[in-house]
Amino acid sequence: MCRLIVPLLAAALCAAPVQAARETLPLPPFTTAYQPTTVDERGLWMEADEDERRMRDAPEVIRDPALNAYAREVLCRTVGPARCAAIRLYIVRIPMFNATTYANGMMTLWSGALLRLHSEAELAAMFGHEFSHFELRHTLTGFQRRRSGSDLLAWAGLLGAGGIALPTMVVGGFYRFSRAQEAAADMLGFRYLTAAGYVVTAPADLWTRVMAEQDATEIGRYRKPNQRYVAGFFDTHPTELTRATYLRAAAAQIGGGGVDEAARFRAAIAPWLPRLLGDQIKRNDFGGSEYLLNQLAVDGWTTPLLFARGELYRERGNPRDLSAAAGFYREAIAHGDAPAEAYRGLGLALLRSGQVEAGKAALRDYLARRADAGDAAMIATLIAG
Amino acid sequence: MLRIARDMILACLVAAAAVPASAQERSAIKPGFVLPPDTARILLFRPSITVGAQSTAGLFEPNADWTAQAREALGASLREAEAHLGHTVIDYAAPDGADAAALAEYHALFDTVAAAVIEFQFFPGNRLPTKKRKDQFDWGLGPEVGTLPGLGGADYALFVTTEDAFGSTGRKVLQLFAALARVSVVSGVHKGFAGLVDLHSGELVWLNADLQMGGDVRTPEGARKRVRELLAGFPGKPADTPVAAADANRAR
Amino acid sequence: MMTTRLPNRLPRHLLLVVALAAAVPAGASNRLIAAGGRVSIARTPLTVTPASEWNRLGARPGRNAEVWTLDGDTLNALTFYAAIGEGKTLFRQADRREHPLPPVNRTMLLTDIPTLLENSYRSALGVATMTIDHVEPTPFAGAGGVHFSYSFVRPEEAIHVRGEGFGTLRDGKLYLITYEAPALYYFERSAAAARQVAESARLD
Repeated sequence: MCRLIVPLLAAALCAAPVQAARETLPLPPFTTAYQPTTVDERGLWMEADEDERRMRDAPEVIRDPALNAYAREVLCRTVGPARCAAIRLYIVRIPMFNATTYANGMMTLWSGALLRLHSEAELAAMFGHEFSHFELRHTLTGFQRRRSGSDLLAWAGLLGAGGIALPTMVVGGFYRFSRAQEAAADMLGFRYLTAAGYVVTAPADLWTRVMAEQDATEIGRYRKPNQRYVAGFFDTHPTELTRATYLRAAAAQIGGGGVDEAARFRAAIAPWLPRLLGDQIKRNDFGGSEYLLNQLAVDGWTTPLLFARGELYRERGNPRDLSAAAGFYREAIAHGDAPAEAYRGLGLALLRSGQVEAGKAALRDYLARRADAGDAAMIATLIAG
Repeated sequence: MLRIARDMILACLVAAAAVPASAQERSAIKPGFVLPPDTARILLFRPSITVGAQSTAGLFEPNADWTAQAREALGASLREAEAHLGHTVIDYAAPDGADAAALAEYHALFDTVAAAVIEFQFFPGNRLPTKKRKDQFDWGLGPEVGTLPGLGGADYALFVTTEDAFGSTGRKVLQLFAALARVSVVSGVHKGFAGLVDLHSGELVWLNADLQMGGDVRTPEGARKRVRELLAGFPGKPADTPVAAADANRAR
Repeated sequence: MMTTRLPNRLPRHLLLVVALAAAVPAGASNRLIAAGGRVSIARTPLTVTPASEWNRLGARPGRNAEVWTLDGDTLNALTFYAAIGEGKTLFRQADRREHPLPPVNRTMLLTDIPTLLENSYRSALGVATMTIDHVEPTPFAGAGGVHFSYSFVRPEEAIHVRGEGFGTLRDGKLYLITYEAPALYYFERSAAAARQVAESARLD
């Protein structure tokens, strides 16, 4: 399948009139207010509508007007005002790299993606890809395909394991797009990116980092990096390597130019960065988190990054981690704008590594700054103890 | 989706353990609770109705057309049945600007309670010792339910939830093979909960709940049958017709 | 960028049901815990003396854990984690490869207990938003302990859950009792009974 995709993409690119270095590739025609036509499709819309009703009141939706306005602006710039009007975008606080598209035009962007993107161009790449799923109405075909796939598994379960596999199987995730659909969305998304004037290497950069993060996660769990370079029969997605490769090739075809708007992106997510980092640290993924922090620190270790790294090391809690954590907290404090929690972290890391007096002193510094903290009484007992 | 997954697992367990089928209860009334005919004002909360298909593997496939048909058919049957419940039954209309989330949370809590009644009291294989005692039925949503806006002095709230997943042909064939392999596979989920909640005390005074109800809710006749099953044994109702009683005792 | 649905997010009660399904037929059944007697938890030195009766579920979340309930674990769950040692996780790992749980560490402080519970829930149950609301010192099982409150939303359901934990560390092992119930009605309804059980805990 993947071997087919690269020539297909190349063919598509060659067919487009490549005159200037940044020729806009043609976009498919778009109809607004599409209504579902078949039974399967109406069912999906109904379910998507239900999901959206729940989403409107869901506690995990990030309602911050500034962040939402920014994301919407990027979406509209990427796909154009007419298409963008068909989409309701929800930013959801889930610390994983994902975005979702529903049949009825609901789109979600997960907060974990904001932490992993480095520029507005990469956000645009993600939006372009997701919108392509919607425009190509992939949810429907994905659902039909999934149905036959799972039927096969039900039979296998019955014949193989005496039926015990059956109950556990129904709890699996629901629809996924097929590899061919992902590749098609990559291609169409790529065209949006070009048309919007963003730097075209963005999607390839993104997938390269996704691979590196997965490897880092595995190494952090004392396993061999399992980055597979060929997608297996049951895999839903082209492997990240395949994607990075064909997207990189496509970018080379288009040529240079375009903007990445990295500074604008960083400024837009800055108010959320400490919370995004906090959510990531709690995932119990030391290697992946350490990789992300290092990526975010390419231009230097800022206070929020140092504080998050202190928390990461303190929570893993090996003796060397605790002394490293203390170092990161101290660096953050030296910047002069550290949160009070940096003193808390420093104190707890020192206590755990046996430096009792220094630890208590740091905890006293914490309480001096946050007398009203939810854990003030608890910390006070550690100082007294 | 996960709720339906739990139901299917439970349905499998129930089917595996509930032999003979008549061992499983499906209805209960709070001991000592009597509702003399024509004394109570009852609010019917907007029924929660979902219909779809179940593929061979047990995946739920939503079906909007079926759901719309069921909503219409069940709505008509409920209106018809209300007239014969022997009480004043009014559709609850939440006032504009009411807290939709609070209302939804109460319906979700009702569903959770009804499922817990099935799993921890009705289903003998997993019954809680404290729920085993004779003449015991102690469940509720709490007295705060009476503070929802727009209740207008009603005495009781009637909650109705149906969730139907029809077995596909593949599923039914699988069921046949599974029977030969002595593995239990349930074809379709036909979940129905109907419960009467005292709006003054928040107690669940009557519940009828089952994961395998009868009646194809997509058709007027089937919806009538489902409503009969849902409301079978409704307190203070003039005697059930023989047909309804037969349905209620039908072995699964 | 990958799925149109949330990934596997299994609520805790569902995990129990799956465990239960695997235990069919029969398996351990639910037992009555009578009022007034001293009860040992999961064959460990941890004992409690409940003033009122409870049900102990046959399905257990882990080797050194058990769940007591009044109306079913979706409506009220009093969960005991007893003598969880270095390198062990709070409950059974459903997906060790993709969502490993954080282990107990010998050098943990009392303040790390709420964090361990939060991170375990976030990893295993896919709880996206969980907050630890209040942390304070408390005597627990005859020594200094930590008492904390928390809240989260059960995935895929509109049910807000409130929780409270009592924990301590003894010889590098973790002892923790949590009480969880829907915020609506159920939490307050049995909170006093749950606290009484936690406050009766002893480690002999």
